[in-house]
Amino acid sequence: MNEEKESEFEKLTFQDYLPSSTLVGVIFGLVTSVVGLFFIYQQINSEPSTSMLGMFMGSLSMLAVCLIAACAGLVAVWHFTKEVTSTLKLGQGAVIGFLTGAVIAVVSVLLSELWATFIDPEMMRNYADSMIANFEAMDMPQSTLDDIAESFEEGDSMFRQLFINIPLYGVLNLITALIGVKIFADKPEDTF
Amino acid sequence: MSDKWLYSGVWFSLFLILLFSMGGGIWGADSTFGHWTGDMFRNLCHQDPNRSFYVNNLQMAVNSRCFGVFAGLFLGWTLIPLFVKAKLKKNPFLWLLLLALIIQIIDYVGNHYELWVNSNESRLIFGCFLGLSASLSIYDLFKSKNQKSL
Repeated sequence: MNEEKESEFEKLTFQDYLPSSTLVGVIFGLVTSVVGLFFIYQQINSEPSTSMLGMFMGSLSMLAVCLIAACAGLVAVWHFTKEVTSTLKLGQGAVIGFLTGAVIAVVSVLLSELWATFIDPEMMRNYADSMIANFEAMDMPQSTLDDIAESFEEGDSMFRQLFINIPLYGVLNLITALIGVKIFADKPEDTF
Repeated sequence: MSDKWLYSGVWFSLFLILLFSMGGGIWGADSTFGHWTGDMFRNLCHQDPNRSFYVNNLQMAVNSRCFGVFAGLFLGWTLIPLFVKAKLKKNPFLWLLLLALIIQIIDYVGNHYELWVNSNESRLIFGCFLGLSASLSIYDLFKSKNQKSL
């Protein structure tokens, strides 16, 4: 039985990792995009205030988005151990985690591009105006406000976003995937 | 210690993330907003100027809590070889990770309902605790076969 398990896990290829990484990555990419969009619109529709509530909601969205996005690696490893094999090496968990992070980055960048191109081209401009109005209400220095406005106006190309986000999401999910290996996976038998 | 290449690769990646999270101040930029370091973390962190530290008078690319998490991850990852060599019977860090997560939630909720006001320093410390325990929670996976059998 153990030998069967061993040989099964030794034969794993890149294609074996893809279903778990893709499935979990797409789901988490969708969730983070939807949560992100929800709070962007909430921010756009809020009145500028110094009460920090608007900023708090923005903070909450980012906390939720980054926590959700970072936990995907752990979930992908859990899915892999249920669907493919429960025996997993550290390096294999790392591959699953990095791939999952990469899928999240691709899905969220694609969705935000599609949204900004076809559904609401004014969204980012409105969001920037709302954020700047909040910062103005908080008496931020004018130079900082100008920098923020400029940063929003310039925007980011899709490929630049992918180039930046894939390694970042990849590494963060790699680490949570390793935690997933610790929690969910059986370690390969130590044979001498 | 096993999986040395994986360990080294992640260590280097975390080092770069920590370095880049310090924003445009260490790269001689005029501003972190619009600089590539600011763009890098824009989707991951709200980059609130009031909740961030400043380097060379420029805001960091992430807020104090995120910087704490990245610093903790890097510090914890750096300490992994020491814990691999140490002869601890049990790994307590998974429980500490859970505790750190609970502390984050309590700190966040308490601040939100104005039970207390958290500061950049407190967010840095709690974030660092979370990152540190996340990295160290897996230290025993890097033990080689010989170390495991000891």
